[in-house]
Amino acid sequence: MNIQDYIESGILEEYALGVLSEAERTEVERIAREHPDVARELKQVIGGLDAYAEAHAVTPPEGMRERVLAGWQQAIRATAEQEKTIQTADAPVASPRMVASSTSAPVAASQEAVVRQMPAAEAPGRIRWMIAASVALLMLSALGNYLLYSRLKETEANLQVAQTEQSRYAATQKAALNERDQQLAVLRNEAFRPVDLKGTPKAPEALARVYYNAQTKAVFVDVRNLPALPEGKQYQLWALDNGKPVDAGVLASATAAGDSIQQMKDIASAQAFAVTVENAGGAASPTLSTMTVVGNI
Amino acid sequence: MSASTPESAALETEVLLVQRLRDRDEGAMTIFYNKYSSALYGVILRIVKKEETAEDVLQEAMVKIWHSFPSYDAEKGRLFTWVMNVCRNLAIDKIRSRQYRVGSRTQPIEESAALRQAAEPSFRPEHIGLQEITNKLNPDQRQIVDLLYFGGFTQSEVAEELNLPLGTVKTRARAAIKVLSKLIR
Repeated sequence: MNIQDYIESGILEEYALGVLSEAERTEVERIAREHPDVARELKQVIGGLDAYAEAHAVTPPEGMRERVLAGWQQAIRATAEQEKTIQTADAPVASPRMVASSTSAPVAASQEAVVRQMPAAEAPGRIRWMIAASVALLMLSALGNYLLYSRLKETEANLQVAQTEQSRYAATQKAALNERDQQLAVLRNEAFRPVDLKGTPKAPEALARVYYNAQTKAVFVDVRNLPALPEGKQYQLWALDNGKPVDAGVLASATAAGDSIQQMKDIASAQAFAVTVENAGGAASPTLSTMTVVGNI
Repeated sequence: MSASTPESAALETEVLLVQRLRDRDEGAMTIFYNKYSSALYGVILRIVKKEETAEDVLQEAMVKIWHSFPSYDAEKGRLFTWVMNVCRNLAIDKIRSRQYRVGSRTQPIEESAALRQAAEPSFRPEHIGLQEITNKLNPDQRQIVDLLYFGGFTQSEVAEELNLPLGTVKTRARAAIKVLSKLIR
């Protein structure tokens, strides 16, 4: 073979351009090994085309480095995983073939895998985390709800107590106010005639006052000072009409203590009033020895 | 055998890189990218014309390079030559794919004037300036080299395309590549 003719045939250029078949390539390589002239020429041709390629270099755009390297890594990981599954599923013969052919098949497979396998591998972990987080949140929420509910119940109970207390207090106050108003009306009423009852020698410091309305027969008593009584005893007011005692009712303890004016039984006619000490509940007739105060109209 | 420092250093890093890639060291791919991306991207872009497609092709090429690396034989040539051919073939496959043709119907690849145009001025020349090449190659030679290198044409196809005898195409291609080879000597 004429080496110069071979060199000039253009086959080395075609070799360098990568347009030869596998058999033709092997042949060129064999001849190059045998003929240093061919080898030198081939090296020059390849070098020239490499230089031509390098002359066209373009700096890749910003951020491409990260994207391409990340994409590449994702692709080879996916392929590695796929090979593993093939190996376990199939006979181990399958994997060397995959690597050896290594042209479009693994690339295509890896591209598919990028889309399918990555999320699948990622999903169970993420879902497990999400479920755990949801359960934890639900439990926290339930606990929170329970605490809030019990606090609400407590508050409601307290409020009810306060409201009851308040209404009772209001009722008491209202009653007290009514009473005071009534008493005030009595004191202001010209028709009532005040009768001062003074202490007997038995209780010289004792003092009380009766307001008597002769027209309406109404009687009120206002204690200024009466000695405290032993258990089971109660003060009783009497009207004396023509020397004859008429029961005007027993004094409530508050009245006896001087806290309030008390309306007594109506009295049709009287010239004097007196207070005696009787057994609790009062007596039908006065125990004169216990007379504490007395006064004439 | 001049022990010119930059060249031997470059060779050394290439040998190391090949070793790491052979060891399936994923970190080596970052070095690979730093070293070759602009040259590979430039050529891919020259072929596919669209930046987005060029990026996809480069990534695809890197996956392929990684998987078929065991088939790379350092005895047969530089790593650069091998990876450049992988990229070039993928890019040419891309523009020849039916999908790509449909998308670019308004400008059929074979008729694309861009293929015969001088490279855009934004291209960053390395080693040999593109301007230098343009000055040294006559337009006929340049046209043929571009069709062969960027268009993925065989010499017969170029002959048919340019309506030239196959012998003329071969002569011009050889002459053109000789000029390129001389530029690096």
